[in-house]
Amino acid sequence: MARSVWKGPFVDGYLLKKAEASRASGRSEVIKIWSRRSTVLPQFVGLTFGVYNGHKFLPVLVTEDMIGHKFGEFSPTRTFHGHSADKRAKRA
Amino acid sequence: MGNAMMARKANTPAKPSASPRVCLGVITKAHGTRGEVRIRSYTEDARAVAAYGPVTDEAGGRSMTVKILDASNGGVIARIEGVEDRTQATALKGTKLYVPRSALPDPGDDEFYHCDLIGLRAELVGGGALGTVIAVHNYGAGDVIEITRPGRKAPVLLPFTHAVVPVVDTEAGWIKVDLPQGVLGARDGDDMDVPVPASGEIKTARRAKGERN
Repeated sequence: MARSVWKGPFVDGYLLKKAEASRASGRSEVIKIWSRRSTVLPQFVGLTFGVYNGHKFLPVLVTEDMIGHKFGEFSPTRTFHGHSADKRAKRA
Repeated sequence: MGNAMMARKANTPAKPSASPRVCLGVITKAHGTRGEVRIRSYTEDARAVAAYGPVTDEAGGRSMTVKILDASNGGVIARIEGVEDRTQATALKGTKLYVPRSALPDPGDDEFYHCDLIGLRAELVGGGALGTVIAVHNYGAGDVIEITRPGRKAPVLLPFTHAVVPVVDTEAGWIKVDLPQGVLGARDGDDMDVPVPASGEIKTARRAKGERN
């Protein structure tokens, strides 16, 4: 059995507590976290985290596709200003 | 009318149209000897520079038909109608290519062009102004709108969802924002669960709470 399988996904403990508290409260909020190394777990789906990138907290709305990735993957630390042209935004 | 007057009139760029325009790319350099150019494309698909009909320059006076020949690193190689040699192609270096906003097809349900969202006034659901939309980002976790507030340096980043942005009225020029908790900083009077620690206090504060980060 591969080491990554028996060890399970890594997630900072406090993050689980925050997610549970947020879900229990039922209110709309952005959960601010610094833990970019934590894995996105199924119980985070539907919640919005503000993932710190060293400068600001970028909102990350967790969807099923993101399970197994790390939070840091969705909050880049380098600035990139693209051009809009014909790009579209979809309201989730 | 003398010849000089005729020539001046022919070279005078036409008055730009009042309708908003969208910049699709910029001609970066000539390519080869037969009048081809390299275009840095700003569109989602690089080849879409030529997909919305003839383009105009920044002044709006010159209309050009672009034909894509090939993709190149970060853009496309294209031929512009009427440009036959390298000298003419080099003269176009730096020209930005615009199309009228009306040339873009209608976006799908609950989809908005970035150019339509940028500049909209953001108002709070409970009343009051929040600021102005200055950018739309997507880092792989849904679209995020960036709102600048008057008198504040730090912008507000919000997820572009029905819950947070329930109303978007591009024609009237505003969006309604239901501000979630935890978005604004502690100094803005928001009741965050985690107060923003001062510089150098992050580790200390977390150790005291028994957290690792």
